[in-house]
Amino acid sequence: MIFYLTGGLIVASTAMAITRRHMVHAVIYLLFSFFGTAILFYLLGAPLLAALWVIIYAGAIMVLFLFVVMMIRTDATEEVMFPLNQWLPAAIFGAIYMAVGAAVVLMTPGTEVALPLMAGSPREFALYVFQNHWLSIEIVSLLLLVALVGAMSLGRGKGRDRTEDEA
Amino acid sequence: MKWMLFGPETYIFLVAFFFLILSMWRGPHSEKDHVLALALSGLGVVISLACLGAEGLLFAGAYRLDLFSQVFKVALSFGLFLIVCLCANVEEIKRRYRLEFYFFLFVCTLAMMLLVSAQHLLTILLALELSSYSLYILVTLRRDEDMGLEAGIKYFLTGIFASSIMIFGMALLYGATGAVYLQDLAQVLPEVMGTPAAVIGLLLTFGGFFFKLAVYPFHFWVADTYQGAPDQVTAYIATASKVAVIAVVIKLIAAVDQNSTYLIHVLAVLSIASMTLGNLAAMVQKDMKRLLAYSTIAHSGYVLIGILSGGTAGYASAVFYALALLVMKFTVFLVVVVLSPRGKNLEREELAGLHGRSPLLALALMVSIFSLAGIPPTIGFMGKFYVFMGAMDKGLFVLVLIAMINVVVSLYYYLLIIKAAYLGHSWETPPAVHLPQPMRWLTGALIATMMVAGFYPTPLIRLSEAVARSLM
Repeated sequence: MIFYLTGGLIVASTAMAITRRHMVHAVIYLLFSFFGTAILFYLLGAPLLAALWVIIYAGAIMVLFLFVVMMIRTDATEEVMFPLNQWLPAAIFGAIYMAVGAAVVLMTPGTEVALPLMAGSPREFALYVFQNHWLSIEIVSLLLLVALVGAMSLGRGKGRDRTEDEA
Repeated sequence: MKWMLFGPETYIFLVAFFFLILSMWRGPHSEKDHVLALALSGLGVVISLACLGAEGLLFAGAYRLDLFSQVFKVALSFGLFLIVCLCANVEEIKRRYRLEFYFFLFVCTLAMMLLVSAQHLLTILLALELSSYSLYILVTLRRDEDMGLEAGIKYFLTGIFASSIMIFGMALLYGATGAVYLQDLAQVLPEVMGTPAAVIGLLLTFGGFFFKLAVYPFHFWVADTYQGAPDQVTAYIATASKVAVIAVVIKLIAAVDQNSTYLIHVLAVLSIASMTLGNLAAMVQKDMKRLLAYSTIAHSGYVLIGILSGGTAGYASAVFYALALLVMKFTVFLVVVVLSPRGKNLEREELAGLHGRSPLLALALMVSIFSLAGIPPTIGFMGKFYVFMGAMDKGLFVLVLIAMINVVVSLYYYLLIIKAAYLGHSWETPPAVHLPQPMRWLTGALIATMMVAGFYPTPLIRLSEAVARSLM
């Protein structure tokens, strides 16, 4: 029951997010949607994933979005309806997907397989990752470092640069 | 001690970190930094040579050391050393970024070393990404900001597109086979080779590598990136990064290719398309770096012939060709870097009268261009000869014929360069080129290497065969 309630909430808040004209409002609605997803993960028996979801998506990435939106400070765009030839193909594909999805559910009743529950404690998960993939993790950390240094070199102001070069 | 096996990688990693900390510590100091980088990268070559015999599996089997990976590591650290030799006068790179420049250069080399040893699909992907991201940033460091940024953004956008295609391919491959280690993949793949998921997955996975190698349908970034990047970075992309990608493609094909004719046909089509397109487009280029970019595309086509011939002979010829490319491409870029006017790219016409300005550079240009064109007695001729022999043994006569026609076509623009350097007259006589003494030795050594390996390639061929055997 909570599951369907949360699911409905997620769909509703996401729908609100993509229809808002004001960017900040859209971001706030998206935040609700992420919290809902986190609750879903918790219900499915993955508390670690739920916590990570809140911390990374709702916490870090959304705040970043908010910052970017506030910095760019775009004016709300006026209401524009997309021309027919732009949304018609998308609508057709969407309808096909819905038809296929409905057919899958209706044509083969009773063949649903419950996924085996793979519950892993944070400790087991960490042990697995660091025993089998720690080279990959080191490469990822180096990749993030490179991205950081690169972003800094690219982001430094143009004006200051020129004066220093001439000096 | 297992850690000794990981020696070259650890060393390059530490050097990269050293430069990062140095860049926070103090401002750039061009000459001191260059000598430092030169010494450290030289030591890197020595360490990789010392680890040549290393063998074993590390990191839960995700990392394999054998003759194949170790020889390529030596080639990569040697390539890095050569590029650092060119950085004595990095006018093109903004002064304040010169320490970061070395940091990215070393990290990129580290990523490529990891790439040639990686056995796990995830590790391969991440190592490739690490090297790509370092290159994206290196390309944008050009002093002329707009030019560098344009090239960097073009490279970045096409690069992430190729990466996402590759990730999708790997996911399909994993879905079809359930294997993530290359050796497992080799065992499982023949059974599922008929299924669409496996075939599409394999093709998309290779798509990502072909992007890096600049093979035909993924070649469009090459010319713009080469043109916009600083000369030293272009030289690095054209030499060291190509060697690494050739190595990983050889490794992947050797793992998945169980005499599947389907894959060979695809590779043959790609090879013909890249050779033809590269050579035809190179003809009309005026900018030397653009010209070399298209010639790179053509050379990727030749390498693919070696790879698709398969077997020890085919892979050995591809390895030989990769090592030859490293030397001859680098020599051309050495001339380009030395002659480039400040802040601009070198045009072909600007080579006019080079013979009078610096006979040594003109000779280096002639030998390396002859080598790229495949004229005996140079290392490039032996490379092409060896690749075509391998293909003939497999009965790929038509492919070799097309490749030969392409070689003749490419002679046109290669000879135009030499004509400009030796017979061209410029209206105003530019001053003689001043080469410092160490650069003269380096140029002489490169010329000698190309000629000696052309006359007496046996040791290099033996080495390539041993490398290819360690792969099988």
